[in-house]
Amino acid sequence: MDFILDYISVNTFWTILFMVHALLAVALLGALTHQAAAVLSRPRTSAAGGFITRFRSVSGPSYAAAVCVLWVLTFIFGGWIYAKYRIYVRIPIEQEGFYKTLGAFELKEHFTTIGLGFLPFYWHLWKNARNAAFDSARKWLTVVLAGICWYAFLTGHILNNVRGFGL
Amino acid sequence: MNAATETPASSRFGAFALVFGICFAILYVICDMAALPLFTYHPGTDRIDFGYAPARRDEGPAMYWYGWLASSALGASLFGILAALLPEKVRGKIPSALAWIVPVVLLPVLIYSLKFYWRW
Repeated sequence: MDFILDYISVNTFWTILFMVHALLAVALLGALTHQAAAVLSRPRTSAAGGFITRFRSVSGPSYAAAVCVLWVLTFIFGGWIYAKYRIYVRIPIEQEGFYKTLGAFELKEHFTTIGLGFLPFYWHLWKNARNAAFDSARKWLTVVLAGICWYAFLTGHILNNVRGFGL
Repeated sequence: MNAATETPASSRFGAFALVFGICFAILYVICDMAALPLFTYHPGTDRIDFGYAPARRDEGPAMYWYGWLASSALGASLFGILAALLPEKVRGKIPSALAWIVPVVLLPVLIYSLKFYWRW
């Protein structure tokens, strides 16, 4: 990867990686929120209706593979920039005494890791979306993953506001 | 087994995926709280030590998260494979609700494990 640094600065490189991580997270958040809304309250009528009805009218199964791929990609980019975060972001935040911010971010790492472990089962549940015996587990696991995703997104956003890359 | 009697964990893959997820989550929390990484990464020097290693003087911090991931994935894979090898009748009885109950139950444990950060 070093040849890239002949063209862009080190700060720019890590900022680009972070932006990719953040954009992937936005896509994941959108997909999971649609899917969670669909499993929590499936509208009785399709197509017609206002924004809320259309928002939750998506076909959940068609999102499952995308959610798995996006989660894994977001996780890989997050894990990649995590090493730089540990030195260039976390240490200055520690020095400024923002411990609760750091704690919230550590919790994000734990949650997203646990979510990663459940992706194979999540995919299995959605692959068998027509089996009623899978409904309850599919519904609540999707909601839990959406909750994790929202927490991770907001915490990452806050941490970036406190001190992002390239500063 | 027909579709009417099939449960999420009755297939081999279903049992593997469910048990993998549950064990991965539990092992990850144990590895975190008991400091059991498979390896330690020192980002300042790109050094990797096997198992737990404290930060070295003048070489920056040590990172254990990658090692916890590896430990948990390894352990969970073993449990998952064992679950997949169980007879179909037994596999079908593994409660699929554990897939969302386990993360919810681990939430307060994880918050407690980070008590160092909750300073006022």
